[in-house]
Amino acid sequence: MFSVIKWTLWQRRYSIMWWSIAVVGFILLNLVFYPTFKDQAAELNNSLSQLPESAKALFAGSSDFVSPVGYLNSQIFFLMLPMLLTILTIGLGASIVAKEEREGTIELLLARPVSRNKLLVSKAISAIIILLVVSSMAFLSISVTAKIVDIAVPLRYIAVATLGSVVLALCFGSIAFVITMLSKSSKAASIGVATLIAFGGYIIVSLSSTVKWLKNPGKIFPAYYYKPEDILRGNINWKYFIFPISIIIISAIVSWWSFNNRDIGN
Amino acid sequence: MGAINSHGVGDYISPAGTGLIQVMSNQQPTIEINKLSKKYDRNKNFALHELSLNIYPGEVYGFLGPNGAGKSTTIRLLMDFIRPTAGSASILGLDTLKQAVDVKRNVGYLSGDSDTYLKMTGRKFLNYMNELQPAVSKKYVAELASRLKADLNKPLGSLSRGNRQKIALIQALMHQPKVLILDEPTSGLDPLMQDEFYLLINEAKERGSTIFMSSHILSEVQKVCDKVGIIRSGKLVSEQSIEQLATEAAQTFVIHFTGKPPLAELKAIDGIKKVSVQKDGRVVLHVHSGLSKLFAVLAKHDVKDLSTMELNLEDQFMHYYQADTNNRGDKDV
Repeated sequence: MFSVIKWTLWQRRYSIMWWSIAVVGFILLNLVFYPTFKDQAAELNNSLSQLPESAKALFAGSSDFVSPVGYLNSQIFFLMLPMLLTILTIGLGASIVAKEEREGTIELLLARPVSRNKLLVSKAISAIIILLVVSSMAFLSISVTAKIVDIAVPLRYIAVATLGSVVLALCFGSIAFVITMLSKSSKAASIGVATLIAFGGYIIVSLSSTVKWLKNPGKIFPAYYYKPEDILRGNINWKYFIFPISIIIISAIVSWWSFNNRDIGN
Repeated sequence: MGAINSHGVGDYISPAGTGLIQVMSNQQPTIEINKLSKKYDRNKNFALHELSLNIYPGEVYGFLGPNGAGKSTTIRLLMDFIRPTAGSASILGLDTLKQAVDVKRNVGYLSGDSDTYLKMTGRKFLNYMNELQPAVSKKYVAELASRLKADLNKPLGSLSRGNRQKIALIQALMHQPKVLILDEPTSGLDPLMQDEFYLLINEAKERGSTIFMSSHILSEVQKVCDKVGIIRSGKLVSEQSIEQLATEAAQTFVIHFTGKPPLAELKAIDGIKKVSVQKDGRVVLHVHSGLSKLFAVLAKHDVKDLSTMELNLEDQFMHYYQADTNNRGDKDV
């Protein structure tokens, strides 16, 4: 199992490196201007207060853009970080096993004394490690930059908010993964469906605060349970993790069942 | 033809089991396939239908058939890459479905498509495979690479198909498995490397390994295999030992009579199984016994030419694949 993980990470080493650079770059670009932004807080608040509630909900999930928590939430945690991590994990979910199937290399692995279970678990662990490496880089860069630009938010809140993004992204990645496991040839379908659930859900959940009839449908999307602003303010409610984790567990069980019972390869 | 088949497949095969296979049948087969069938979801027809065969320890079994006949399906079922619709298979007494991991501890496998990690060098790829299933020694891997003239330092994607095939062969052979399952192993190899591969197969056989290989190349099967199975449309249509084929061929006579062939007299001889007349009037007959009676008949007639047939697997192959024998100019009598 260790060998499959090791070599999977080795094969994706450049991807991990470039994803880390991109995420850190985006975070720096967003946070480094906070001092300038803060100086113009009064004017910005005035301008932003004129935006419709739905627009504010869509871009920040909140009407607070300029306080340290509001800025960190609107610029990093509400959209940018979960979006980047979601793109990464959907890509991983749709390819970490399916690519080996498409290219026929999975037969080389399963021809050795490696069970389907071990292979599946090894690949899933590899994907999670990649996600954790990139999100750890994100956490470090947020923590360090926040300190430098004087965004006074406790580290543990930043850590839990990052964890929230990771769990949300993992939820969408697991949806992409289960679709490829159920139908091995559907890379486009797995990316498409997972992306639709992720970003369609985000729009529906954002609008549900102003469009009343969307409130209940919004609850079936993982984005509904993602509350970074609450976390950054110290209102950590772990029950919001239950829904996305349940989806991850269900996806894992279905993937395991499917991979163990279907034909492998092309 | 007095061919051998313990499963009663094909009218071409007589139940008169003699020689190699009958001796082997007292042993436990290394590979035992029992009514194995596979039907893919989207297809109406079976890709493999009730295949049964036994392969015995130390045997090299050639599995012949054109594209789509079911060779790769059989191999992928044995390797548990795909799941059977019906039937079962075992390798070294282990169920290929329920004990797949234990089976693979003893198997070396070569895929027919030579798919591999194109960005890895040969050395890195072999290291990866070695971690999953250790080679007998680094020295042996180096020896295989040297004998097959494999370049281990270039990315596999930059190598030709033949050079990638060499590295694929090394990964299949490097742990000296008890069973080798090879899907078109010499595909892409040049003739020199093909010969080296045949030597490696012989060495594996001498170590007691059992080898199951599919091939399109009839001369290759003839050269390295002990037994050959021919598959058509998912069904085994013939199974014979090469030794038996050679004996059969040696007992096949082609006779050119000056006048009209004495077919009635020839057919009346005990021990003559099949008599056919070619377009040019030559008579082909298969003799099991009663050679002296045959020559007695020939002595009474004017014979222009007499020859025995050489072992030609292609004839055997074509026998099953040519839909209309009349197209060949032969006519059974």
